[in-house]
Amino acid sequence: MAICQFFLQGRCRFGDRCWNEHPGARGAGGGRQQPQQQPSGNNRRGWNTTSQRYSNVIQPSSFSKSTPWGGSRDQEKPYFSSFDSGASTNRKEGFGLSENPFASLSPDEQKDEKKLLEGIVKDMEVWESSGQWMFSVYSPVKKKPNISGFTDISPEELRLEYHNFLTSNNLQSYLNSVQHLINQWRNRVNELKSLNISTKVALLSDVKDGVNQAAPAFGFGSSQAATFMSPGFPVNNSSSDNAQNFSFKTNSGFAAASSGSPAGFGSSPAFGAAASTSSGISTSAPAFGFGKPEVTSAASFSFKSPAASSFGSPGFSGLPASLATGPVRAPVAPAFGGGSSVAGFGSPGSHSHTAFPKPSSDTFGNSSISTSLSASSSIIATDNVLFTPRDKLTVEELEQFQSKKFTLGKIPLKPPPLELLNF
Amino acid sequence: MSLFGTTSGFGTSGTSMFGSATTDNHNPMKDIEVTSSPDDSIGCLSFSPPTLPGNFLIAGSWANDVRCWEVQDSGQTIPKAQQMHTGPVLDVCWSDDGSKVFTASCDKTAKMWDLSSNQAIQIAQHDAPVKTIHWIKAPNYSCVMTGSWDKTLKFWDTRSSNPMMVLQLPERCYCADVIYPMAVVATAERGLIVYQLENQPSEFRRIESPLKHQHRCVAIFKDKQNKPTGFALGSIEGRVAIHYINPPNPAKDNFTFKCHRSNGTNTSAPQDIYAVNGIAFHPVHGTLATVGSDGRFSFWDKDARTKLKTSEQLDQPISACCFNHNGNIFAYASSYDWSKVRTPGPALGAPRQQSQALGSEGLGLSCDSSQDSHVSLGRSLSPPCKGKLQDFLKWLWGFSTAFGQNPAHRKCSASVSHYGLLCSWAQKHRQAGGCTL
Repeated sequence: MAICQFFLQGRCRFGDRCWNEHPGARGAGGGRQQPQQQPSGNNRRGWNTTSQRYSNVIQPSSFSKSTPWGGSRDQEKPYFSSFDSGASTNRKEGFGLSENPFASLSPDEQKDEKKLLEGIVKDMEVWESSGQWMFSVYSPVKKKPNISGFTDISPEELRLEYHNFLTSNNLQSYLNSVQHLINQWRNRVNELKSLNISTKVALLSDVKDGVNQAAPAFGFGSSQAATFMSPGFPVNNSSSDNAQNFSFKTNSGFAAASSGSPAGFGSSPAFGAAASTSSGISTSAPAFGFGKPEVTSAASFSFKSPAASSFGSPGFSGLPASLATGPVRAPVAPAFGGGSSVAGFGSPGSHSHTAFPKPSSDTFGNSSISTSLSASSSIIATDNVLFTPRDKLTVEELEQFQSKKFTLGKIPLKPPPLELLNF
Repeated sequence: MSLFGTTSGFGTSGTSMFGSATTDNHNPMKDIEVTSSPDDSIGCLSFSPPTLPGNFLIAGSWANDVRCWEVQDSGQTIPKAQQMHTGPVLDVCWSDDGSKVFTASCDKTAKMWDLSSNQAIQIAQHDAPVKTIHWIKAPNYSCVMTGSWDKTLKFWDTRSSNPMMVLQLPERCYCADVIYPMAVVATAERGLIVYQLENQPSEFRRIESPLKHQHRCVAIFKDKQNKPTGFALGSIEGRVAIHYINPPNPAKDNFTFKCHRSNGTNTSAPQDIYAVNGIAFHPVHGTLATVGSDGRFSFWDKDARTKLKTSEQLDQPISACCFNHNGNIFAYASSYDWSKVRTPGPALGAPRQQSQALGSEGLGLSCDSSQDSHVSLGRSLSPPCKGKLQDFLKWLWGFSTAFGQNPAHRKCSASVSHYGLLCSWAQKHRQAGGCTL
């Protein structure tokens, strides 16, 4: 940590809450610094400015370590403790530079990932110990898509289930199903806490490419007592099974599948179906990074409908990251920017909205099982759609694949050959 | 009615205090409790709009009913009327002229309740429980917006049985808020969409969630010119995000803060993190109130980024809250919100009163036997004794006096004298013995 210059001069305003190190006093990373003064002047504490957010964004749970916050004090001037000013810009940069998780990483990127993983572990620990609602999705970094394996159930939905079961006098099955959900959650949390290689890879690809959340025991809402609580989760055919049972497999399936997308724009619906496991929710992986301006910030959002995605640019899963810094990203990223991209959305918005999700959800619902299965098997088998055989690549493309980093402008449009990928 | 200082049960409670020797913490703030409160958890609260003289409060509950009280300036509450659904009521709202109340329920319908005739007719239909309902009054149209767990947002002209418009949502609708011309919908899977309502409702922008966990509640706030400019989003992780739609400096202007957590200062011990069940903005001062599963409510100033006040802890979670149209009254509902689905174990076999067995928060998990819970459910539906299921509505009067006392809020000091009504909070400070209402 940086040594606090003010402390050395004997005049650090933050004392033990200071972020920088006070040599000889306490070295513990304490509170937040306030580089700016409040106009009102008095000793208000604690909200960030954009700088120095690096570690905060990655370890959100460490916010609680900072300024003593007025939780227990009801007097005047208690303050918000942790603020993030929502700046995940640093984070984005960090991702922007890293490529696909399977290639070798530069030290910076490794550090990023490490921090990310640490953050996840910490969050999991907090989640378990804090007694907060467990049936919630989770994302390690704000504004990034969710990690797979968690289902989103609101308390009202759970309670409604309880009421339904009550009327049918079948309380035991309700208890069983809730117990099952809890077990699943616990397993997933433990999995994330004890990160082994496979979960790490899956996680990293999740975070970068976006993942489709399995439609949760939404079997909850739609099925009745009789069908409830069959193996895994009922309803939506595929989804929950994939997410829960094959969490690793499906993820890498996504990572691999995503590279298949550029094979042809026409194939995108198929891809979209392969990638998504839940109706209506799809995170077409590369599209996460791309979002053409006219598609608006919805593109960078994990829920964007595949039909709206335009895979105009080449699509290797590592690419969106690198393009993130490019011009394509710029209009899309600032969700607050407003401006032209939004205006463009405003009109097609309502129409495209109703139009798109419908056909896509049909595709998903029907083909999701078969395609998700094929997705997982594609890891093993070499699929033409997902990988190009080596001989089909031009020399230049081959060179690009073989080099450590893609150079902008020369990024191949075809997916890499299987041989070059090292999992 | 219970005035300040007295906590004798009234209204629904039959027996008096707890059978056990624990202190009665159901109303630690000594606020006014509403008579004839619902028999099961309260899901939503709504005050009448300014067009209606006086204050009327509507509450929807998990006992399938919607109740209306008149709240007089003295603090007295008079039960006025009640309507039933065939499923728990999840959301209520008023029309802009105060003549009709719209109610959304788990029976997949929404109803319009005409208060003058005390008739309720169905105006909306979904394929899944209707979670949110809001009245939209635009210059060229007015309609009811319903959000449901069937992933659609439908707009209804109350005279027709077909929706005027159907918008698809990426996931189940969890919460929504409307201040014309802006509407915000938060869905499952951390979805967040802003709609603009001019001419006709259309999607304005999809926003990446500033929160990392499930969205629970959302409320729109206005700027100094009284135009909606952003929203506050609460999650189950004890965190609220303040988000502006078009801020000059997004990184600095948007922020999140933690709330509804236990032992905030002692960071070494694991905190308990509670869900934020409701957010409401004061219509005049623009400060916000949050209520959580920890049984506390807090007031915050988002511009100064400070916490103003936190209440004492109630013995039950606070499931809903609402300001009246001029901000004089803050109502909050204390009832179980199903937040304690935890591992079986400690709760199993824990000694408890028969009538509380349902409140055995495991919600099924920690129930002893299904037969047992069945019995206690029946019992809890009848007027419960003071147990975990006791629901009350409470009042906080003269709330703005609390603002005036915070020296940081000089802008509010002028209002202290205006709101001469004493609230318990102010009372504590002035150490007045009697109630001067």
